[in-house]
Amino acid sequence: MLDNLLLGIDTALSVENLLWCFIGVLLGTVIGMLPGLGSATGVAILLPVTLSMEPVTALIMLAGIYYGSQYGASISSILISTPGDSSSVVLTLDGYQMARNGRAGAALAISAISSFIAAIISLIALMALAAPIATFALRFGPVENLAIMLLALATIVSFAGENVLRGIIMAAVGLLLSMVGVASGFATARYTFGSVNLLSGLGFIAVLIGIFAIGEVLHQVHSGGTKPIRARFRDLLVTKSELRRSLAPALRGTGLGFALGVLPGAGATLASFMSYGAEKQVSKYRDEIGQGAVEGVAAPEASNNAAANASFIPTLSLGIPGSGTTAVLLGAFVIFGLQPGPLLFEQQPDLIWGLLVSFFVGNLFLLILNLPLAPVFAQILRLPYSYLYPMILFISLIGAFAVGNNTFALWVVFIAGLFGYFMKRFDFPAAPLVLGLVLGPLLEKYLVQTSSLAQGDPLILFHSPISAIFTTAAILAFIAPLAAEVIRRLRDRDKVPV
Amino acid sequence: MTLKTSSVSSSGPAPERKRPATSDVVGTAVLGAVGAVALVMGLGYGFMEEGSQIGPGFLPVLTGGFILVASVAEIARMYFASGPRGGSLLDVAGSVEKEAKAAVGQVHEPGADEDDSRRDDAERNRTIVKVFGVLFAAMLLIPVTGLLISLTAMVLTIVLWIERKPVVPSVLVSLGGLAAVYLIFVQILGVPVPQGMLGLI
Repeated sequence: MLDNLLLGIDTALSVENLLWCFIGVLLGTVIGMLPGLGSATGVAILLPVTLSMEPVTALIMLAGIYYGSQYGASISSILISTPGDSSSVVLTLDGYQMARNGRAGAALAISAISSFIAAIISLIALMALAAPIATFALRFGPVENLAIMLLALATIVSFAGENVLRGIIMAAVGLLLSMVGVASGFATARYTFGSVNLLSGLGFIAVLIGIFAIGEVLHQVHSGGTKPIRARFRDLLVTKSELRRSLAPALRGTGLGFALGVLPGAGATLASFMSYGAEKQVSKYRDEIGQGAVEGVAAPEASNNAAANASFIPTLSLGIPGSGTTAVLLGAFVIFGLQPGPLLFEQQPDLIWGLLVSFFVGNLFLLILNLPLAPVFAQILRLPYSYLYPMILFISLIGAFAVGNNTFALWVVFIAGLFGYFMKRFDFPAAPLVLGLVLGPLLEKYLVQTSSLAQGDPLILFHSPISAIFTTAAILAFIAPLAAEVIRRLRDRDKVPV
Repeated sequence: MTLKTSSVSSSGPAPERKRPATSDVVGTAVLGAVGAVALVMGLGYGFMEEGSQIGPGFLPVLTGGFILVASVAEIARMYFASGPRGGSLLDVAGSVEKEAKAAVGQVHEPGADEDDSRRDDAERNRTIVKVFGVLFAAMLLIPVTGLLISLTAMVLTIVLWIERKPVVPSVLVSLGGLAAVYLIFVQILGVPVPQGMLGLI
């Protein structure tokens, strides 16, 4: 591991990679701040810009956009009570309250410091765990890989939110969209309706740009916007008491966020909610949470950053995206001709370890940028959204065209944008759709291979201990929330009203 | 560890059922129809092949079936659900999410401006329709004017006509965007953008 670490340091600290890492985190901070954009959108829109780069440089920049946007999203949550990313929604509770109480700068500072603490701890854990998991996964055959895919889909659906059924529908829609075109392993064209353009599929990036850039941005237009509270440089000074109070919540948030982030589908958003809820139960200052307590900022911020880093474990080690944004990053890997998973650790250690080391560097850049400069970044929020969103649409459409040099992609973006807008309006979650879209081809590949091995035996998934464990876990993850809901409703029906 | 939610009780009578919004039901029904069509078309691709191997229609049929069944179940849930209950770990997240979403955009700061467009709900709905309309028109225009001019015109139309901003800043923003995109995508990245019948840029 030490050799790989040194290789990673050598790769990450090259001038070119340092420069693009810096650009990535800077862009990520700005993108994260802008309501309606979010990390997934930012990565999807800027992915076309990276196509001419070396894969490791491109991935370092795109990853920088991902974790940079976690920092940036906090700024808009705190200053305008409107999150730039769903993982910062919870900051609108205490973060915005702190800003209203004249402590906007302190809220921003605590947010940045907690994020940094969480990032460093979670990155050390990521480095410690990713490689051994990848080594273990080398033993997996098609049957085990299929079982893992099923578990990933089941957990994605389980964590989709209050409505598991909508999560199922969206994951299945994502799988369906991935099947458009000529089937891998077969010679059949599916759902092409005679169109030559659809033979190669819908275009993963075009669909993502449509759903995230067009759909979510226009939903933000529909929701309207607000002007930010001013944050002054002198407010950035955090008191000793605030720092002391934020340490324990940050550490708790880191632990919880990391544990949840490892699970495919859980993601930074759920981690931030869970962490906030846990803090309300265990904190010494729980009565103040919700009214501008530092714990209400430190815990969820640490949690969402830890989860964001932890989501790279299944992504890099197993090739299964841990969140919506890592699904987009996984798509980036594929576009560069790379397949994340155990083999990539063996075949391209410089890329993997260079990427992991760059996370440390990027988070350091972010602390240096955000701590003193958050009020400067905040000025961007004063730009009228009326000018910003048409430009976002412009760049998104050009970006979608640039991936395949094909105007058909623009129509895919348009239709996906319509669909994405209505998904957002009617509260259908986007993450299961993205994960279904990314996992679909892999799922079918392993399904075909397993089917060949099975020779008609439907219980092949239970033949090996590893696949049996994953398959059982997938079944439980899938049916447990539904069964719990049914049992709860039956119990309610039996209750005698008071 | 089981965390209790502060805002939802796990005991007490079930809350009243609310009638679901028609748009919710229609949207879910449309998805169900998509699932049904996918299922039927999937059967046409071949569900199984010789030697008990799965065919190209296997996953489409399963997926279409899932969408159909889940959509029907969701419509049933919308009509018969009696509201959220508390007690489980994920419900903790759910209640925090609700609280946070309710707080989003609730600006009470004295002197803080409202939405700079000052639109009500009906106007915002019309805005969205107009934006999609302008987007559609821009794409129809691409074969004539080329991609960059078409999208620049889209930006200008949105900012001037839909957002009703002053002419000079609108033109500057549009041209600035065109310049930035031209520099990054055409000059630096070498993307061969279509120039349309006009053949300008």
